[in-house]
Amino acid sequence: MTQDSLYEQAAEAYGRALDRLARAYELDPEARRDLLQEIHFQLWSSFAYFDQRCSLRTWVYRVAHNIAAGHVIRQSRLREKLVTIENIETLPGSDHIELAASRSQAIERISTLIQRLKPIDRQIIVSYLEEMDANSIGEITGLSPANVAMKIHRIKNILKRWFGEANRGEGKTDDSKTGAENPGEGGLHAN
Amino acid sequence: MTARPAPKIPAKEDFMPTDFTMNDPQNLWKNQPTEAFKMSAEQLRQKSHQRQRKARFVAVKSIIAGFAVCGFFAFAFSKTHELILRLGWAVLSLWGIYLAYQAYKWIWPARLWPDAAFNTTLQAYKNELEKQRDYVQHIWKRAGLTFCFLGMAIAVMPMLIKTFVAPHLLLHWLPVAVLLAVWFAVFLPTRRRRQQKLQQEIEELRAFERGSQA
Repeated sequence: MTQDSLYEQAAEAYGRALDRLARAYELDPEARRDLLQEIHFQLWSSFAYFDQRCSLRTWVYRVAHNIAAGHVIRQSRLREKLVTIENIETLPGSDHIELAASRSQAIERISTLIQRLKPIDRQIIVSYLEEMDANSIGEITGLSPANVAMKIHRIKNILKRWFGEANRGEGKTDDSKTGAENPGEGGLHAN
Repeated sequence: MTARPAPKIPAKEDFMPTDFTMNDPQNLWKNQPTEAFKMSAEQLRQKSHQRQRKARFVAVKSIIAGFAVCGFFAFAFSKTHELILRLGWAVLSLWGIYLAYQAYKWIWPARLWPDAAFNTTLQAYKNELEKQRDYVQHIWKRAGLTFCFLGMAIAVMPMLIKTFVAPHLLLHWLPVAVLLAVWFAVFLPTRRRRQQKLQQEIEELRAFERGSQA
């Protein structure tokens, strides 16, 4: 396959996912558009070297995350304020978070959470939200699947605190309080 | 929003899609409004050419600036007959050539960024930080500041010798000395602080990498 056709295929299959990824790394719409363009351009350039040693999806996410991480690194003032998932989990007051009133507010809340994270953790949370498994995330980030699973466990706890409060009112148990949830499990659903 | 008072737990089918996604961040994230952005092959090629042209322009500009510095001091060299002063101008002229060479070496456009595809994020992130740290660490060498200060020191030597017999001439050098001192006072600590911060982050990533491999 040629560079152009590989890019066509990738843009077709992952275009929307790349847009979401850019939102995770840049809040400003203008700068986000530039970042997205840069990701697409670098993706197209990278296909000159695509040797099919990994899947197209892994390749696309790896290039996209690396370009986006580079974008964060270059903003040195912002970079110094970023924290890890572990830091967020232990932040005082993170237990008492009000539920989002609307869908857009909920998306904004997820974005706010992501924007506070260091690039590696940001990549893990974005990949988790894109419903990737620990092995695929490990392949992209270079972390071991066990390490990724541990991070995902923490992410789920944080997200559950931020989005799962409604369940309490309906007589559901909150696993994050009892520690009953295992890394790798899926559900944050209300059903 | 506070917890909803619901005496009866609704069945799965009772949930509207919006209610469902509100409690499911993955679904919420994947269903946010997005734009299917795509660039045409022509746009991509055009951008590639533009980028190469821009990088080449920046490199050429820096090389020309280096040669201009070289030419300026070479001219000063040709106009002077004093040996020490000539030596100073010669070193500064060589500094110009060194600047041009460094511009060619570091700015001339090479490959775009194939590393982005072959490296995992951990490696790519670490490499990028290391590149920044190296840049800060070797800025003295890359800008050829040793040549620059050595050349200036040699060039001002004859004038300094004259101040031995007329110390009041030293006052003429005071503004230059103050400027140099301020520059050193700002440049050195800033550089060290930046380097330390980058190094600290690199160490954290290394520890993370080791922990991940273990």
